[in-house]
Amino acid sequence: MLDPNLVPTVDPNPLPAPYWVFKLLLIVTFFLHILAMNCMLGGAALALLARWRQGTNKFGNRIFFDVAKKVPVLLAATISLGIAPLLFVQVLYGQYFYTSSILVAWPWFLVIVLLIAAYYGFYFVSYRGERRPLAAGRVMLFSTTLVLIIGFIYTNNITLGLVPSRWARKYFSSPSGWNLNLSEPTLFPRYLHFMTAAIAVGGLLLVLIAWAKWKQDSEYARDLFQFGGKAFLYATMAQFVVGFWFLFSLPRDLLILFMGGNALATSLLAFGIVGALASIYLMSDALRKDNVRHAAIAVSSITALIVLTMSVMRDILRDAYLKPYFHPQQFPVKTQWSPLLLFLGLFLAGVALWIVMLMRYGFFAKAKAANR
Amino acid sequence: MNFPVWDVAFGAGLLMALVAGLHVFVSHFAVGGGLFLVLTERKARRNNDAAMLNWLKFHSKFFVLVTVVFGAVTGVGIWFTIGLISPTATSDLIHIWVWGWAIEWVFFFLEITSALLYLYGWDKLDPKLHQWYGWIYFITAYLSLVVINGIITFMLTPGHWTDNHEFWTGFFNPTYWPSLLFRTCICLALAGIYALITASVQKDAALKARIVRWGALWTVPSLLLLPVFARWYIRRIPADIWASARGAMPTGTNSALGACILLGVTLLLALIALAMPRRLHLAFSLVVALVAFGALDSFEFVRESVRKPYVIVNYLYANSLYSSSMSGDGGFTLDKINDAGVLKTATWIDVRELTKDNQVAVGREIFRVECSSCHTPSSYRGVHQYIVLRQWDQDKIRAMLGSLYLMHNGVMPPFAGTDAERDALAAYIGSLQPPIATPSGAANGKTVYEHDCGMCHQVRADDHLFANLPRDPQAATDALKDLPGLFPVMPDLKLSEDERRALVQWVNTQRPAQAAAVNGGN
Repeated sequence: MLDPNLVPTVDPNPLPAPYWVFKLLLIVTFFLHILAMNCMLGGAALALLARWRQGTNKFGNRIFFDVAKKVPVLLAATISLGIAPLLFVQVLYGQYFYTSSILVAWPWFLVIVLLIAAYYGFYFVSYRGERRPLAAGRVMLFSTTLVLIIGFIYTNNITLGLVPSRWARKYFSSPSGWNLNLSEPTLFPRYLHFMTAAIAVGGLLLVLIAWAKWKQDSEYARDLFQFGGKAFLYATMAQFVVGFWFLFSLPRDLLILFMGGNALATSLLAFGIVGALASIYLMSDALRKDNVRHAAIAVSSITALIVLTMSVMRDILRDAYLKPYFHPQQFPVKTQWSPLLLFLGLFLAGVALWIVMLMRYGFFAKAKAANR
Repeated sequence: MNFPVWDVAFGAGLLMALVAGLHVFVSHFAVGGGLFLVLTERKARRNNDAAMLNWLKFHSKFFVLVTVVFGAVTGVGIWFTIGLISPTATSDLIHIWVWGWAIEWVFFFLEITSALLYLYGWDKLDPKLHQWYGWIYFITAYLSLVVINGIITFMLTPGHWTDNHEFWTGFFNPTYWPSLLFRTCICLALAGIYALITASVQKDAALKARIVRWGALWTVPSLLLLPVFARWYIRRIPADIWASARGAMPTGTNSALGACILLGVTLLLALIALAMPRRLHLAFSLVVALVAFGALDSFEFVRESVRKPYVIVNYLYANSLYSSSMSGDGGFTLDKINDAGVLKTATWIDVRELTKDNQVAVGREIFRVECSSCHTPSSYRGVHQYIVLRQWDQDKIRAMLGSLYLMHNGVMPPFAGTDAERDALAAYIGSLQPPIATPSGAANGKTVYEHDCGMCHQVRADDHLFANLPRDPQAATDALKDLPGLFPVMPDLKLSEDERRALVQWVNTQRPAQAAAVNGGN
């Protein structure tokens, strides 16, 4: 039964800036968050895979530790960059977000507990792993599994937030928050779509690490490049199955948006597909010619663009789902100019300081030296 | 009522207290500990103290593992949790303070980055540059406190914000500055207290002693300054709100007392550590930390409980109803619900019609949407316990529900809903306990007072009951017959003649003047 009345009303406080400002911030910060998440999760998964094939590959264990040591920092980046979209999604979509979160409250709350456990596990591998290699593998598997579970809980919550018509029955059958959204047809393809993307981007992370080590340690860097590049390749190919499964699992009226119904959505999807094909071609070419530079620069740029495209498509899809309920005009707007300008100023200064911090630490010098 | 209520069997409030309580203990350390790292590094380098530097390296690893992992994730955890338990308040706070949160995020991002570079840079960077990262860490961490402090204090003392809804008015509210300085002291004190933990496991006794003495320089003066800023803080809180911590509200009063005692014990333990710096044991350092944790959380409990019945004072009640009507309130205000009724207003309610047969079921729904943000039926703040303790039957419960806002200096929002809905809620609460046996034997005045009067009245000379009840026993007994006639806001308790007589007799023995006379007679 569709009961639009069940959607909570917006609170009385006006938006402190025009709607589009928050929309832009939401999409951009979500894009950054998802890139970091992909590197973290993809990196962790590929580290495990490298270790698993260490019997046949002499660098397996080295790749494992090399990448595993970067995972805590990548997780810190994922969380830090995740806070902003968590804020902005509440600004615009709080009614849906809080409600679906409450319906899956316990799993949602568990995210915090699982995250702390996973985080300490990653740090254990990073700090103690080399001294206790056997435990390191198990802990890495444990932490990575927790992160995969967190991703699954996220997909459940986010998909549930899109379908208010399902809320009432779910809530009144179990108000204690022990719910998931398992009956959602798009749940598994959507989840796998994100996880497969993480493997692809994780592969690119390995390619970038290989690029940085290309001159100083070429044999290892070549192996790392081949491993990461192939991971990217296979994951991106798999995306043609998973991605289309996701697409065709969408309700018909939403599916047609990407099939010509909405010009922007259709062109973004087309761009995504063409971009993915191009990146597959470029990566296999680079792998064959052992040209890490091409793979690192060209494929990374294309992939970043695809992820951005997908972030915009994700937003279009959300608004299409919520079309019966959500109307941007429903927000009264009263711009708070001075805090807004203060934020923008601090944000720009913060980005500048952040770059200076990395520069003084020698991040860019290292990359430069490696490619001279 | 606007959002579904997450039904947590053991009490949503307990879960919130757990997450927030753990977070604040780490987040204050994250700020003070940052300054501690840079200043300790500077001191150790100036003194060429290699042992101290070595310890500091270890301590900074501990610092990152505690603050960047546990501190940061529990911080997000607070957000997750309040969104689940108080979505309306969260939505309000998000919309009112978007730019505050966004600014804090910028600082947070820089904070995390600089903390990691500081940690990883110990062996890579030259000392000056290394300390530069330390300074960036501390400054950005402190600035995140500067921001969050505005939002937290706003909830207790929004000041003129309720009139003009201006960002800066709410931000620099009456308790902003005292709270900032108060929390700064907590941060500095915790820096010294956490240092005891890593110091205690050092084998070199001389090094251990140096760290303990240095840590005490952070802890002792900060703890001594706390009462000064606390006094300023308290003076900026409206007196009628602060009365809750001065006896009018058990939770507020007990927490305030606990905070004072535990603060004193923390100081004492810090001094003991200072007296025997070479013999500091890990267990002892953990006890110091635990007591400090208790002191800090008691303070946060005071702040949260005196704020009751509100989440945002004079704006939003703890049960997510707005205190007055405004455009966009969605009908979720007291007066509108009193007119329309809970069943017609609440979105997430299963029963829409109240009949003779479904009174208890409807009462349960009303309890869920109106009471369960703080209460459970019978565990954390369980109403069942309150009722059993006071032996209230359904009629008395119904009468008392009309006076919620008078209890313990107004710890609860008024009941919102129609009279029939109040009956239903009373029926549900009454159904939680076995039927009351009619008391046998003569009534005891003290018991009558504790059961029926003590929620709103206090044994004080200026309390209405003790100041204004006629001294003549018969006149007083008669006057208590019609409580609303005596004072319109009183619940119509219908005490029996026996109970009234016993109550009057007991009240007369408790009147402060008389008590003084009795004491004087001794």
